[in-house]
Amino acid sequence: MKEQMIQGLGILHPEMILTGAALVLLLLAKRVRGTRAALGVTIAAALAAGYSAWGGASAETVSGFSGMIVQDGYSQFFEVLIAAALILGALLSAKSEPDEESTPSEYFVLLLLAATGMMLAVSATDLMTLYLGLELTTLCSYILVGLRIENPTANEAAIKYFLMGSFASALLLFGISLTYGMTSTTSYAGISAALMGQSSDPLLLMAVGLVAAGLAFKVSAVPFHSWAPDAYQGAPSPVAAFMASGPKAAGLAVIGRISIQAFESQDEMMSLILISIAALSIVVGSVLALSQTNMKRLLAYSSIAHAGYALMGLSGGTAAGAESTMTYAFFYVFMTIGAFGMIVALGERGERLDGYRGLATQRPGMAAVMLLFLLALTGIPLTAGFTAKFVVILSAVKAGEVSLAILAVLCSVISAFIYMRVAVLMYMSDPEEEVAPAAPGGMVKAALAVAALVTLVGGVLPGVLTDWAVFT
Amino acid sequence: MIEYVGIAIFFVLGAGIVGLMLFLASKLGPKKPTAVKMAPFECGKDPFDLPLGKLAVRFYLIAILFILFDVEVVFLYPWAVVYRELGMLGLAEMGVFLGILLVGFVYAWENDALEWK
Repeated sequence: MKEQMIQGLGILHPEMILTGAALVLLLLAKRVRGTRAALGVTIAAALAAGYSAWGGASAETVSGFSGMIVQDGYSQFFEVLIAAALILGALLSAKSEPDEESTPSEYFVLLLLAATGMMLAVSATDLMTLYLGLELTTLCSYILVGLRIENPTANEAAIKYFLMGSFASALLLFGISLTYGMTSTTSYAGISAALMGQSSDPLLLMAVGLVAAGLAFKVSAVPFHSWAPDAYQGAPSPVAAFMASGPKAAGLAVIGRISIQAFESQDEMMSLILISIAALSIVVGSVLALSQTNMKRLLAYSSIAHAGYALMGLSGGTAAGAESTMTYAFFYVFMTIGAFGMIVALGERGERLDGYRGLATQRPGMAAVMLLFLLALTGIPLTAGFTAKFVVILSAVKAGEVSLAILAVLCSVISAFIYMRVAVLMYMSDPEEEVAPAAPGGMVKAALAVAALVTLVGGVLPGVLTDWAVFT
Repeated sequence: MIEYVGIAIFFVLGAGIVGLMLFLASKLGPKKPTAVKMAPFECGKDPFDLPLGKLAVRFYLIAILFILFDVEVVFLYPWAVVYRELGMLGLAEMGVFLGILLVGFVYAWENDALEWK
C-alpha cells in the first residue's frame, strides 16, 4: 500500500508543482503587489510542471493510487500541452489589468489551479478522479470569467456559465452514478471488464449518454455550447484565450480516454453519440459564426466548430483516431491562443470586428500575424490548421465515416468566409480610427511569437510535432 | 428480504420513541402560550418573509469557511481509523492536507473574512 502511494506521488509531480506555486502565491497575495512577480512564479511553475511531465517520459505506463491515476504517453502529451497553454495564457495576462480590486496574485492562483485540474483529469483512470479534476478546472473558470466585477457583461457571463456548468456537472455525476450502479466500480478498467459482452441495456445507454453530455459541455460541443460565446465575451481576453484552449484540450483528452478505455465495448453507441455531436458542432459553429460582429463571440463559435472537428477523430473509438485528435488539440491550442492573443494586443479595439479595419496599413506586422492565425483556423495548407484538419478528416474516412468527412470539408469552406472577412477588413478597407493601436507589450509579443512559430512549423514540417502524438 | 427487517425495526422504534416523547411532552408539560411562542419558528430569520428580502451576503462567507473546516474533520475520521497501517507516510500526508487548508485559513484571515463588520 505504501509503495502504491509513493509511486502515485511520482506521477503527480506536475500537479504538485502547480499546486505548490498556487499556495505560495496565495500566501504572498497580500504582500506582493504588481503582476511581474506572480507572473514569474506562474511561468516558472508551468515550465517545471511541463518539464516533469515530459522529463519522466518513459515509454511504459505507470499507474498509481490503486488505479486512480495513470502516467502514459497520452497523459504526458496533454500535460505538456496544458503547461504550454498555461504559459501562453499567463504571458497574455501581463498587459491586462484584470481589475483594480482583485490583486493579480489571486488571478494567477486561479490559472494555476485550473491547469492542475486539467492535468488531473487527463491522467485520471477513475471516474471520481476525473470528476475531481474537471470540477477544479470549472470552479476556477467561473471566477475567472466574472473577474471584472464592475462590468455587467462579465457578471451576466459568469452567472450563465455557472448555472449551465453546474447543470452539466450534475449530468456527468448522474451518468457516473448510473455507471457505478451497473458495474459496481468507478475505475475505467473495471467498467470495461464489467461491460464486456453486455449489449443494448437502456440504463447503460442513459449512463453513457449522460457522461458524454457532461463531457461535451466541457469542450462546448453542440448542443451543449450555448455558454461559450457569452462566457468568452464576458471574460477578460487572456482568460478567454486560456479557457478556449486548455480546458478544451483536456476535455477532448478525457473523452478519448473514456471512450477507448472504459466504454470500449459500447463503441457503437459511443461513436453514434460522438458523430452526431461532432456533425452538429461543425455545422452550428460555422454557420452561427457568420453573423457575429464581436470578435470574441466569433472566435467562440469558431472554437465550437473546432471542437466538432477534433471530436471527429475520436468517433471511431480507435487509438489511431485518438492520435489524430491529439494532433488536432495540439495545433488548435496554439492557433486559438494566437487569435485571442491578438485581441489582447489590440485591447478594446480588438473586440469589435470593425476594429480590424485597415489594420494592415497601421500595423502591418500585427496584421500579418493575425492573418497567419486566421489562415490556420480556416485550414489553409502550410499552416498547422491544415495539418490538424487533414489528420482528423483522414481518420474519419478510414473509420468509414465518409459523409461526416464530406460535411467537415463543406463547413471548412463556410468557415473560410468567416475568417477571410476579418482578413479583408484588415487589408482592403480604410482604418476606422485615425490613431494606430499601440504596440503590444513584450510578454504579449512573446506569446504571439511562440503561437505563430508553432502554427508555421506545424504546417511546413508537421512531422516534427505530430510524431509526439502517440496513443499509448 | 430478511436482512432488511432490522432497518424496518429501526424505523418503527425511531418513530415510536419520537412519537412517545412528543405525546408525553404535550400531556405532562406546562402550557403558558404567548403570541411569540405560538409563532412558527425558523432559526435566524423571519419565517414569513418574501423571498425578495435581503439576506446578508456575509452568511455565505461564513458558510464557505464552515465547509473548509467541516471537510477537514470528515477526512480526519477515516484517516484516524487506518492511522497505524499508514505509519509515518500517512502522518506526512495528513500534514500536507492540513497545511493546504491552513494556507486557505491564513488567506481568509488576511482578507478580513473572520471579522464581522
